[in-house]
Amino acid sequence: MMRSLYFILALLLIAIVIVLGLQVGSFESDLSTIAEAFLNYNPDNTTHYAIVHLRLPRLLLALVVGASLAFCGYLMQAMVNNGLADPYLLGTASGASLGAVLVFFGFVEITVGSFYMPPVLAMAGAFIVTLVVVVLGYRKRQLIPAQLLLAGIAISSLCTAMVGLLTFLSDSEGKLKSVIFWSMGSFERASWTLLPYPAVALIVALFLFAFLQKQLNILMLGSERAQALGVQVSHTRWAILVTVSIVTGFAVATSGPIGFVGLIVPHVTRGLLGTTGRSNLLFCAFVGGLFMLLCDLLSRIIYPPTGLPIGIITSFFGVPFFVYLLSRKNYKFSS
Amino acid sequence: MRKFTKISRAGPAPMKNKTIVYTLHLLCFIVAGLTIVGCQQKQEQAGQEQGITITDDLGRELHLAKQPERVFGFTSAMTEMLFAIVDTANIIARTPDCDYPAAVYTKPVVSNYPVDLEQVLALKPDLIFTSEGMTPLDDAARLEELGIPVYYQKYRTVEDVLKGIEDIGRIMGREQVANHLADSLRKEVKQLEANYKNHQNKLQVLTITWTDPIYVYGKNTLLTDKLRILGAENAVKETFDQPYPALTREYILKLNPDVLMGGTKEKLEQTFFSQYPELRKIKAYQTNRIYAPTGNLIERPGPRIVESIRELEGFLYP
Repeated sequence: MMRSLYFILALLLIAIVIVLGLQVGSFESDLSTIAEAFLNYNPDNTTHYAIVHLRLPRLLLALVVGASLAFCGYLMQAMVNNGLADPYLLGTASGASLGAVLVFFGFVEITVGSFYMPPVLAMAGAFIVTLVVVVLGYRKRQLIPAQLLLAGIAISSLCTAMVGLLTFLSDSEGKLKSVIFWSMGSFERASWTLLPYPAVALIVALFLFAFLQKQLNILMLGSERAQALGVQVSHTRWAILVTVSIVTGFAVATSGPIGFVGLIVPHVTRGLLGTTGRSNLLFCAFVGGLFMLLCDLLSRIIYPPTGLPIGIITSFFGVPFFVYLLSRKNYKFSS
Repeated sequence: MRKFTKISRAGPAPMKNKTIVYTLHLLCFIVAGLTIVGCQQKQEQAGQEQGITITDDLGRELHLAKQPERVFGFTSAMTEMLFAIVDTANIIARTPDCDYPAAVYTKPVVSNYPVDLEQVLALKPDLIFTSEGMTPLDDAARLEELGIPVYYQKYRTVEDVLKGIEDIGRIMGREQVANHLADSLRKEVKQLEANYKNHQNKLQVLTITWTDPIYVYGKNTLLTDKLRILGAENAVKETFDQPYPALTREYILKLNPDVLMGGTKEKLEQTFFSQYPELRKIKAYQTNRIYAPTGNLIERPGPRIVESIRELEGFLYP
């Protein structure tokens, strides 16, 4: 009963924040304007155009990216059985950043054909780095979580150092601005053509893991106990690895590396629903999406028109809540 | 015997006294002369220690031992200013970005960002010229600790740039050259202003400096005044914290500029409109009013400022 209530509340809040978000922007627009934009859309009306083609994709991208990062954070924490794990543990974010930075600094043309290259290279960087980390974390035909963790940290540091070197050697203030803007995350690039990539990846992953929720809960007890309870630990870990690489890769490629969401939201989920819920993953995605929507809305209200970099907001609002959660006596990472 | 002796002793006494007195007088004169000369030298030294005090556009007081002779600019625009006013022998360096006039290439390159302190020290400049926002104040403070003053200029209007030219002339003892240059430029600006004074339809101009994110020339930049002179307006009416603010696509859609500057249409099609297809709705795109100003003209507040305004005039009124 309580679980259903939480779900309904989360969905209701998402709807409310989306409606509020549709009203925030450079064009004056109240509820009636928004209703008119959807019910009686006029392409020549720039306010209608802004609501449908700029604000709505932005809000949906925030929702999808937030949901993706929270969902992947939950998966990673289950896989390595550690509450400090997050989706960027595999070096996905630093690989994506390196890919994007290579474009910003002119190693690759900014546009190839009709493709805007930073997200493309970010995606490639995310996958390549994740693959390297996975290979390093693999020993004797087994994935060793501790080794994976260390490999992730080492390769991430290497990518960060390369980004730092390129930044230091930069000959242009504009390029530096691009890198800084990218590294802090933003939904300003959102469009109907960009949105399907992270959205489809997330939906497919949610469907896949809807059937694996039970295994995940058991996996959080530790690999030996999970093995004893009949969970195919190795297969589940591979499924998590592949899913996290793809979903996080798309999220980072479209919005930049936004921190903290993948770390805190899984804890919020477990704090509200407990550690053995069958719908924890789905709820975690909803809460992640809601949190990101709220952060984006706040960033645009606090610092119009561009909004503050989203990564700053997620940390500012995420940390106090996280501290409160950890201070609660009844909070547990796993049952 | 004793008397004679006395007399013989007393005989030469007056002569000896006179000699002593003359010698003493002479010595007194010499000592007095030396004292006066010494005092004068001390006064001159004290004067030199006091030197010259000048106040820059940021209100910072700079103390110079003497009128500066060895100088250089920490910005490309400042280098252009110096080459237009100062004897080129007094300009001892240039930054890596300095490319105008051609004579700059005869000067050694000094790193201005990050500042190469050792290189600057080795050049022994009397004064470095720069402009607000182009050299971090802590870099200037560090240089001043090392005995190298940094003089900042600040420009909000075209007139500020012309006053800056006169200012450099005053500091460098080249008033005549600087004033002549500033007056001739002022005359041209006034003429242009008069041409567009009663212009009714003020074109709204948006000028982008970077495409990802979209950075533009804000209201509090020199470009706003250049456009005013030409009877046009900067499309950005709001004053932001930064002179070159980042804007969202929605904000630009709302501005809906008549003219867009920042690159040729072909180039912006590739680098800007392909990224932001929503912005193809703006008037400038619809009416093909997209122009590429020369980077080192529009960006530099220097002696070629009128040339820059004339280039803009060509875009706005083809």
